[in-house]
Amino acid sequence: MLSALPEAISILLSLEGLLVLTLGTILGIVLGAMPGIGSTVAVAIILPFTLTMSQAPAIILLLAVYAGSVYGGSIAAILINTPGTPQSAATCLDGYPMAQRGEAGLALGWATVASVIGGLVSAVVLIFAAPQLAALALEFGPIETFSLILLGMTCIVSVSTGSVVKGLLAGMIGIFLSTVGGDPILGEMRFTFGNWQLFAGFNLLAVVIGVFALSEVFIRASNQISTVSELVSFNGVVLPRMKMWKGRVRNLAKSVAIGNVIGVLPGTGAATAAFISYAEGRRSSRNGGGFGKGEPDGIVSSEAANNAVTGGALVPTMALGIPGDAITAVMLATLTLHGITPGPKLVEDNPTLIAAIFAGFFIINLLLLPLGMLLSRVAAPILRIREAFMMTAIVILCVVGIYFVRGNPFDLLVMGGAGVVGFLMRRQGFPMAPLVIGMVLGPTLELTLRQGLILTDGSFPAFFTGHPIALVLGLAAVAALLLPLVRSMRKGTVG
Amino acid sequence: MQRVTNERVLVQIGLLIVAVALFASTFGQQFSSADLAQSPMFFPRVILILWMGLGLIALLQSIRSDERTTKIDSWPRMAVVLVAALIYTNVVASEGFFLPSVGFAIVCLLAFGIRRPWLLILFALLVPGALVVLFNHTLGMPLPTSRFTYLF
Amino acid sequence: MKLKTFATAAAVAVVAASGVAAEGYPERPINLIAPFNAGGGTDLLLRGLAPHFSEAIGANAFVSNMAGGSGTVAASALQGQRPDGYQLAYMSVTVSTIQPQIKNVPYGIDSWTPICSIAASPTMLFVSDDSPYQSMDDVIAAVNAAPGELVFGSSGPGAITHLTMVSAFAGLGIIDDMKHLPFQGSGPAIKELTAGNIQFFGDTELLMKRGDFRPLMVFNNERVESFPDVPTATEVGIEAPLNELYLWGGLFAPAGLEPEVTAKLEAACEAAVASDGFQQFAANSGTVINYRGAAEFDAFYRAQYTANATLIEAAGL
Repeated sequence: MLSALPEAISILLSLEGLLVLTLGTILGIVLGAMPGIGSTVAVAIILPFTLTMSQAPAIILLLAVYAGSVYGGSIAAILINTPGTPQSAATCLDGYPMAQRGEAGLALGWATVASVIGGLVSAVVLIFAAPQLAALALEFGPIETFSLILLGMTCIVSVSTGSVVKGLLAGMIGIFLSTVGGDPILGEMRFTFGNWQLFAGFNLLAVVIGVFALSEVFIRASNQISTVSELVSFNGVVLPRMKMWKGRVRNLAKSVAIGNVIGVLPGTGAATAAFISYAEGRRSSRNGGGFGKGEPDGIVSSEAANNAVTGGALVPTMALGIPGDAITAVMLATLTLHGITPGPKLVEDNPTLIAAIFAGFFIINLLLLPLGMLLSRVAAPILRIREAFMMTAIVILCVVGIYFVRGNPFDLLVMGGAGVVGFLMRRQGFPMAPLVIGMVLGPTLELTLRQGLILTDGSFPAFFTGHPIALVLGLAAVAALLLPLVRSMRKGTVG
Repeated sequence: MQRVTNERVLVQIGLLIVAVALFASTFGQQFSSADLAQSPMFFPRVILILWMGLGLIALLQSIRSDERTTKIDSWPRMAVVLVAALIYTNVVASEGFFLPSVGFAIVCLLAFGIRRPWLLILFALLVPGALVVLFNHTLGMPLPTSRFTYLF
Repeated sequence: MKLKTFATAAAVAVVAASGVAAEGYPERPINLIAPFNAGGGTDLLLRGLAPHFSEAIGANAFVSNMAGGSGTVAASALQGQRPDGYQLAYMSVTVSTIQPQIKNVPYGIDSWTPICSIAASPTMLFVSDDSPYQSMDDVIAAVNAAPGELVFGSSGPGAITHLTMVSAFAGLGIIDDMKHLPFQGSGPAIKELTAGNIQFFGDTELLMKRGDFRPLMVFNNERVESFPDVPTATEVGIEAPLNELYLWGGLFAPAGLEPEVTAKLEAACEAAVASDGFQQFAANSGTVINYRGAAEFDAFYRAQYTANATLIEAAGL
């Protein structure tokens, strides 16, 4: 594949290639930055256009819009506390407090640099080590995945700002919400109470947008309105200076690694990576104590990891023909449309195309930095409009965004309900990030648990005896859960 | 003071009641699998038990602590925006995107203190209108339309 | 009394109005609903068809997505719509004939006006390339030698992949000695087939080609061109109705569509499927075209609905 790189780069640097790369990234950032409109909708909007294009530009356009929208999601998360996607939910935790302190530009600067580095490293890894990483993906069967998800669940404790008990409770509610609908093994209906709209379950994005964006609007409606000062003081991205990186590089490297590895494992996804990385950052970073109060390392952990996933997810997609997430599934289908069969021979048979995709991904990440800075400068005046207009526009955009996720108006009712419940819970000091984690990880946790039980004939201990990877991850999960509890019990401040 | 304490406890009791009701509902249904762990209700029941347990602890903590809920500065505004948003998300399916959006925008802007009529009308018409033009007539991925015309 | 008069008048008005509607049909854009997410196989097929369909019928045709519940959410929503010919859904064998028999959805066999079938591919049972099984006889022997050990996968309970496995192993009488491991979609199942956590999987030829896999039998009425050495299920000894299984799909409108409108839609569908553009699209994407007109498709759909009841019972759904 490396030998095809020069030819691939010449495709990318053609007029069409550059146009697709730049416009795709800009469009992705703009759409992602709109509250309520996330990657799924951004890709759905661009899809019809890719159908008439030739294969390499089509895939690169999808990739540019995708990567751009993941980055753009952090803008809305930081500036107005409304993540457009679950993977930016962890970015809110520290990004928004920084913005409230008046450091919105710097918070976005950290997010930008972390995203770019996360993306670039994962692109390099992709180009040089895709086959090896694909082999790693095959090691992760249902039982190993179960243990990884279990470890992921322990992040609930780390992201529970305020009360751990309330965080865990919110997490349980999230997991419960994810069990509504069809049972994954037998297909029987649970908690639908005869309503066919619930057969498909509660849509994750509808709940996320409800509890974050919509409830934020309600909270602002219940507060004193500031008519003089603007919503956030923001004049564009401020890049962190060199000396600010002191003591943060290790955290960055770790986050990128976590994102890469988790991205490679199909069925886990960017939100999982962002949360696990955030929890790990809080545990090991020397600035861990400030997490949740506007600590740059929190933003770096989340953003570096969720952008590294984008590259990681391409590994199983391109090397095995197995999509890593919903967006890479769209890319595979697009390839099929052009007469290319995804699968183990994909790289061998189409070296130029794959090299172009990988190199294109590298260039997209390079473009994020200047384009992000440019667009944020353009967008800054928009953010100065009065709160009234901003809040109204947010609700309307959320309706549009959630409608297009599945084309189902029922999801709007779910979003409205989640908004009210989220508002009530947030007022009582319930953190919402654990609810999102529960809902993201819940389905995989149950599915892999029950798959594992089928494979081991119903023996739970056999999960760990015959599977060394599962054992290590399982022990890590137990440690991650118990250590903070023990520590806080010693201090006598449980909850 | 009394009122805010109550809100805190009420929300927690509400969450607990929901969990208990859901838990009770899991015993009303019959499922085909005899195997306990493969019963569709096994996993949800475990989660609901944890929910109830944690809910109880959280409730006790709330009763004992004297923490306050953030004060609501404007009950009317909060109520208007909340109810308007709920109605809005409910009627988009039947009345289309455009008309409910215009209605919601007017109510929401008024609630947030916008009083200049031309500004209000302009915003309420332009934002949804632009979205309809963009999605329904440019991108070919239509938002729900009203009962009067397929154009918006 | 007054009410009755009013009702009659209203009914007359509706009939008159719809008569006029059929005359002038189509006068506005037609919505082709994909019951799955944008970018999936069904969605792309419809997007490939839409421009040619639009040209043939002389009105704009756009694709919209309504995903969820294995396609049942879109079907349930469409079922309640007025049959005006402006809302059509592309439904597969599972959405139209299997899901309504295993879930309590508000639609059933009589809820539709079938317009035309578009594609159909037989499913095949396959194993990993490094698997020791060369034929179904090997599989039967292995299952009998170690009951309860071997695992077949599926993309979810009630999916076509699940039914393929059920047809195969229930048809051979060995399903009770095997384990079923459902996944969320074919992708993860294929990964586990490669990794060796499951031994058998069944899907269309298009999906089989995604990995290093070896087909052992095909659920077609005759051997397929690309694999002349792979026996059909009938040859292996599986009896009807379990011996043939196709992943088919076509356009459906809600029941009660005016015959004139049905005829117009049917003609447009035929022209679109026959168009050079769509034929080229099908060749590229590996779609196996299988066109049936409205009457023929209606009969086929109803026959499939009853035949699949047997299959559902065998699957224990």
